[in-house]
Amino acid sequence: MGEGLLSVIQRLRGSPGQELRIVLLGLDNAGKTTLLKRLASEEVTTITPTQGFNIKSVHSHGFKLNVWDIGGQRSVRPYWRKYLGSTDLLIYVIDSADQKRFEETGQELAELTEDESLTGVPLLVFANKQDLVTAAPAAEIAEGLSLHTYRDREWQIQACSALSGEGVQDGMNWISSQIMSRKK
Amino acid sequence: MKHFLRMFIQVCLYFYCKFLWRCLKFVVRKLTGRCELQRICYNTKPGAARTMKIEASLKGSKSKRLQTSVSVHPDAIEKTIDDIMELKKINPDINPQLGVSLQACLLQIVGYRNLVVEVEKLRREPYDSENPQHEEMLLKLWKCLKPNSPLKARISKQWCEIGFQGDDPKTDFRGMGLLGLYNLVYFAEWDTEVAQQVLSDSLQPKYREVSKKELSYSFAIVGINITDLAYNLLVSGALKTHFYNVAPEAPTLTHFQQTFCYLMHEFHKFWVEEDPLDIMEFNRVREKFHKRILKQLQNPEMALCPHFAASESLINM
Repeated sequence: MGEGLLSVIQRLRGSPGQELRIVLLGLDNAGKTTLLKRLASEEVTTITPTQGFNIKSVHSHGFKLNVWDIGGQRSVRPYWRKYLGSTDLLIYVIDSADQKRFEETGQELAELTEDESLTGVPLLVFANKQDLVTAAPAAEIAEGLSLHTYRDREWQIQACSALSGEGVQDGMNWISSQIMSRKK
Repeated sequence: MKHFLRMFIQVCLYFYCKFLWRCLKFVVRKLTGRCELQRICYNTKPGAARTMKIEASLKGSKSKRLQTSVSVHPDAIEKTIDDIMELKKINPDINPQLGVSLQACLLQIVGYRNLVVEVEKLRREPYDSENPQHEEMLLKLWKCLKPNSPLKARISKQWCEIGFQGDDPKTDFRGMGLLGLYNLVYFAEWDTEVAQQVLSDSLQPKYREVSKKELSYSFAIVGINITDLAYNLLVSGALKTHFYNVAPEAPTLTHFQQTFCYLMHEFHKFWVEEDPLDIMEFNRVREKFHKRILKQLQNPEMALCPHFAASESLINM
């Protein structure tokens, strides 16, 4: 499960020297850091709220994937824009059990996708925390976010549990297919 | 095949060195008439240097009894000392000081191990808003930090004023569980003046006008992050130097919490000194701070901060 990043790299083997920039965003307590650690095959039990940002790079076969995980606290959100430049792919993480803040997270995402530096950048939405019984299904969240109205970019919604790792690999598969098709 | 050969050579080298070390110990023992434990106790002054040498010697011993002595129950320490004396054929009447010194060391070694277990247990207990005790502690934190401004509701934007992320702190404790709350409450309750000062500085930095930079940070969230730092220092064993130097007997949770208070205060000063551009530099500054503390703890004389000297006389044994 934790081999997400590695498998993307392995699939991309043969075109060395490529560096990708992936930005992970979402409200506080959505599970961004847990997802980041899961991707890097690290321990996920001692996560603390992110002040500022975390970054993990994985080097392999000449590839470098830089994943930026930026804090989701309201007071930090204005800084998001500073990190959007030359982003290859945006991952947006949602706490599927936090129904009270669906509207807030939808607004943030809508504002983000209007940002010029993200024009045409593929978007992967992780409907996280599916391990909780109160989690809303991914389809419902996609509808709430009106993802189907996004015409100018590739997008995908993926149900997952960053804690157990379930669904994370499927999301990473989509990312690698996006990168492959862009290179053609 | 090459890899295997290299491994094989390394294994041989390891056993060779171990054998040499044993021979050396044997020769020195014959020459001085004292075993390694005695030599350490007589040649090293009390404190972290001595306790850590004793710990290494016990763990590396070929005797099972000595190896397991570092993990006995605190109540069984006296019996363990008697066993060691007997095993090493040391006459306690001729060497009365040795037993006392060994006991002081073992109390610290065993105490540290138990503290790791206790802290880990607290960390693993998630914050539960259904548990009245947890809720009570959370409200106490508010009262200690903001005595003059009552909390209007349990779910309230006011929590952001002491540096939680949203209107309900319960989701902010995460991987640090109750340990984060315990530490913050201890800081606010026992070191109130400093805690309130750090909180107020974290909100409206007085240095802002000078540097034209945004130095503010979220007090409670940083507290939970510094809890993680203290937890890592403890579990990795780096805090041994500090605890063996300041805790005359077994280090306790109180010692850990006092160390947390020290780290919070120091981190705050460090943050201001580092003069970061904004909060996005937090992890860079935190990493630098972590490295600095680790470096300080490599010095066996190091004590991060003084603690209650409950039984100071013991440390001289």
